[in-house]
Amino acid sequence: MEDRLRIFQKVIRAALFLLVLQCLYLQVIRFPHYRRLSERNCIRIVEFGIPRGEITDRNGRTLAIDRTCFNLVFSPYDLKNPRRVAELLTRLIGADLQLLLEEFSSRKGNPFDRFVLKRNLTQEEISKIEEYAFQLPGVFVQAGIDRTYPLGTGSCHLLGYLGEVSQEQIDSMKEERFKPGDRIGQYGLEKLYDVLLRGKAGGYQVEVDALGHQRRVLGKTEMTPGNSLILTIDQSIQEAAAQELEGKAGSVVAMDPRSGEILALVSSPGFDSYNIAKALRAPRQPFLNRVVAGQYPPGSIFKIVTETAGLELGLIGEHDRVECSGEMTLRDRVFHCWKEGGHGWVDVNLALPYSCNIFFGTLGMNVGARNLLDYAKLFDLGKKTGIDIPGEKPGHLPSVEESGGSLNLAIGQGALLTTPLQMCQLIAVVANGGNIWKPFVVKKILDPNGKIVKEFSQELKKTVFISEETLAILRKGLKNVVIFGTGASSRISEAVVAGKTGTAQTAHRDFQSATYGGFACYADAERPTIALVVFLDNAGSGQAARIAGRILRKVFNPESAEATSSETTVEFDDLPDEPVLVAPVVEERGAI
Amino acid sequence: MDEKISPRMVLFIESLLLSLIGLLLLFSASKGVVIRFQAVFLKQLVWVAGGIFLFFGFRNFDYRHWRKLSLFLYFFFIILLILVFFVGHGRAGRWIRIGFFNFQPSEFMKFVLIVGLAGYFSERQVERFSVFFGGLCITMVPFLLVLLQPNLGTAFLLLIIFFSIAYLAGAKRAHLFSVLTTGLLASPFFWMMLKDYQKQRILIFLNPWKDPLGKGYNILQSKITIGSGGIIGKGFLRGTQTKLAFLPEYHTDFIFCLLAEEFGLIGVLALLVLYYIFLKQIYNIMITTKDHYGRLIGGGVTALFFTQIFVNIGMASGILPVAGIPLPFLSYGGSALLVSFFCVAILYNLSKNSTLF
Repeated sequence: MEDRLRIFQKVIRAALFLLVLQCLYLQVIRFPHYRRLSERNCIRIVEFGIPRGEITDRNGRTLAIDRTCFNLVFSPYDLKNPRRVAELLTRLIGADLQLLLEEFSSRKGNPFDRFVLKRNLTQEEISKIEEYAFQLPGVFVQAGIDRTYPLGTGSCHLLGYLGEVSQEQIDSMKEERFKPGDRIGQYGLEKLYDVLLRGKAGGYQVEVDALGHQRRVLGKTEMTPGNSLILTIDQSIQEAAAQELEGKAGSVVAMDPRSGEILALVSSPGFDSYNIAKALRAPRQPFLNRVVAGQYPPGSIFKIVTETAGLELGLIGEHDRVECSGEMTLRDRVFHCWKEGGHGWVDVNLALPYSCNIFFGTLGMNVGARNLLDYAKLFDLGKKTGIDIPGEKPGHLPSVEESGGSLNLAIGQGALLTTPLQMCQLIAVVANGGNIWKPFVVKKILDPNGKIVKEFSQELKKTVFISEETLAILRKGLKNVVIFGTGASSRISEAVVAGKTGTAQTAHRDFQSATYGGFACYADAERPTIALVVFLDNAGSGQAARIAGRILRKVFNPESAEATSSETTVEFDDLPDEPVLVAPVVEERGAI
Repeated sequence: MDEKISPRMVLFIESLLLSLIGLLLLFSASKGVVIRFQAVFLKQLVWVAGGIFLFFGFRNFDYRHWRKLSLFLYFFFIILLILVFFVGHGRAGRWIRIGFFNFQPSEFMKFVLIVGLAGYFSERQVERFSVFFGGLCITMVPFLLVLLQPNLGTAFLLLIIFFSIAYLAGAKRAHLFSVLTTGLLASPFFWMMLKDYQKQRILIFLNPWKDPLGKGYNILQSKITIGSGGIIGKGFLRGTQTKLAFLPEYHTDFIFCLLAEEFGLIGVLALLVLYYIFLKQIYNIMITTKDHYGRLIGGGVTALFFTQIFVNIGMASGILPVAGIPLPFLSYGGSALLVSFFCVAILYNLSKNSTLF
C-alpha cells in the first residue's frame, strides 16, 4: 500500500508541475501576445454564412439555392459616431438615414455580434464602401450568402422564404443556438424542413484593428452545409402555371394521379421574399396558400361525386332521363338551372357535360344528403390530405343537419367546403380508377455529399371502390365536358382532356371575392399522367378551363409553348356557367 | 517557533484560506458588467459559513460511523439521482430544490461513494475478481445515472474515485486494465442508448470546436485571460477580460482565469502551492494512520480533489478538453463546497482518532 501511495504522490507532483509549466508558458513566454490581444479586446468572431441546402425539382432544376453575395455589416461594439457613419452611408449607397439610425441604435451587442445593414451589394457599392473604409469604423463589407428563388413569386407558397430569426424563436429553440440575425425558414418547405436544410455554422476567430477591421485569422472552424431537397415538382409546369396566374388571384395544383406526386403548386397573388413587409400590407391575402388553405364550396365539380353515388347506389341508370325546363320548384322555392329555358330531356351522359343543375338536383334528392355526405367522405373531401406543406386546412364536411339540404349538396353549393388540393385528389381518383394517393412534394433528402438521407415513396391512403361501369360513364362524361360541354375552352390538340367545371360563391370570410371559377381535369384521358386543378377568384369556370388547357399544352408539347389558344373553338365560354343556388341569389334570379 | 502544527489543523486552515480566495475572486467578479454576480458573491459567503459550520458539527463525529451509514446514504442518493430525472431543474436539470435552496445530488454522491467504496474494499479481499467487480457495480449505478443527466464531469470523477480506491486497496493491475479495456470496447453500445441531445453534448465535450462559437471560443479566451495576467497580474479588481464578460461562466468553471488575470503567475503559483500542501497533508494523515478503512477514505478524497484541480486548471489553460468540473473551494457552488468541507471534517476526525491508537 505504501508503494502505491507513493506512486499516487508522484503522479500528483508531476501533474501539478505540468500545470506550472503551462502557466509559465502562457504568462511569461506568450505574455506579450496575450496581453496585446486582451488590451484591445480585439478578438472577433466572423461566421461564414451557413450554406443552406439546395432545393431542386424532379429533374434537378434549381428552385432555391444559396449564392455568395456581399453584404454591408456593422459591429455595434466597434461603431463610433453612428450619426456621421449613417450620413456617409446615405451618400454612398443611398440608404435611408432614419432607418440606418434606427438600426444602429436598436442593435446592442457584445464585441462579436455583427448585423447586416444591406444585402447583395453591387460591385459599385462595394468599391465606394472600401474607398471610404477609414471613415466607416465598425462598418464593413462581408461575404455572405443569399437565398435565390429562380421562379420568384411563382414558387413562394411552395418553398416559402427565409427570415431573420425572431427573439421568441431564439428563446424557444435554445438547443439550436440561434443568434440575432440568423436566417430561419419562416414559411412553406423552408420552414417545414428548416432543420434539415440548415447547415452548421463555421467561423473564423479574427484579430481586428482599432477600427474593427480584420487583421489576421487566429482560428477557423469548418462549416457543414445543409441537406438538399429534391421535389416531385416539375419546374416547367410550375413556371407555366405561375405565368398563367400572373396578376390574377387563384391557384393551380397538378398531381401525378398514379402516385400522388405534386407536379406544380402555385397560389396567387404571391409575395416577394425580399420584401415581406410590403406583402403583409398588400390586399388579396398574398400569404394565403390557396391550394392547401383556400376553403371553397366545390361547386359543380361535386357533381362527379353526386353522379358516382347515384350510379353506384343503383338509383339511376345510364340512360334514365330527367326533363330540365330551366327551373324546378321545391317547397315553394324555385331553383334555376344555369341555362334559361332549360336543357330539355337529359340523361347522365348529357347532364354532366352541360352541368345541368335540374338533373343533378333531382338526382341528389333521390340519393339523399346522408348518402351524398358519405360519398364525399369516401373521397376524403373536407379532410386534410396530409401533404407535406405546412398550413393545410381541412375544409369542412358538415353533418346532415347543417349540410344545406340534398339539393344544394348535390350541386356543390351546400355547407361542404373543400380545398383545391382535395379537388385534385378527387379528379385523380377518377383518373386512376379509385386510388387515393397521399399527395407529396418532397421526393428525396440528400446530404451534402449527395447521399440519400431519406427517400419518400408514394403512399396509398385508401382505395375507393367504384365499379368499372360507373367509371366508364364518369370518364365519358368528363371527356364530353371538354368536347362539347362547359369545359370546352380547355380543349387542346396535343392530348385528350377530361374535366369538370365548377362555379360557386365563396362563403369563406378570408376572401374578398364573391365567386370563384374552377376547373378540375386530367389528361391524357386514356392514360392519365396529370391531374390538374385551376381555381380563380372572381372569375368564371370557362376562364379557369382555358388556363388549364394552356398549361396542359405546355406539358404535352413543350415546344408549342408560345402557340396561342385561338385555334380552339370555344362554344361555351360562358360567364358564369351556372348561378349560385344560395337562397338570396335564387330570389334575385327569380326576379329576372 | 518550530512547534509543529498537526496536519489536520493545516488542512482546516487551508480550506478556510482557499474559500477566502474564492470569495475574493467572486467579489472581484461582482464588480464587473454582469450584475448577477453580486448575488453570487453573497450566496457564496453564506455557503462558506455553512461549510465551516458543517466542519465543526462533524469534526468530532467518529469517521468509523460512516462505514455503517454509507449503505443507507448510498441508496438514499441513488433514489435522489433517479428523482432528478423527474423533478430536476436548472441547467441540464441537475438540481433538486429543497425548501429555499437547490442542491445537486450528484455532488454529494462523490462523498458517499468514497466512504462506501472504502468500507466495501477494506472488509474484503480486493485481489479476488468478484470483490473487485462488486465495487465496480457499486460505482456503475450512480455513474450511469449521472452520465445520463448528462453530467459528464461528475460521472468521470466517480470513475476516478473507484479506480483510485481500488488501486490503493490493492486491486490487481490485470483487473484494473481489463475493466478499462472492456469499458472502452463497450462504449459504442452506451452511445447507441443515448438520446440525440445527449450525444450532442458529449460530442461538444470531447471536441469543443464542434461548438465553435460556444466552448471552442472559450478556450482561446481563457488562454488570453490567463496569458495577459503576466507575472504579477493586472491587480485586484483590475482584470479586463473577465470584467467585460469575454468569458462566460467565469465564476464557476473558469474562476482560475480570474485569479490568473488579476494576480498573475505569482497568484497561480501560490494557489498551486496551497493545493499541493493540502494534498500533502492528506498524504501525511494517510501515512500515519494504520486503519485500512481510513486510508482508503484519504485516497478517495485525494483522488477527488486532485482530479478536480488538475482537470479544471488544465482545461482553463488549454491542455485538456472543456469539462464542467469545479475548482475545489474556489468555484461558486454550494453543493460542491459543502462536500469539500465534509471531506475535510472526516479527514480531521480520522487524523485525530488514528493518533490515539
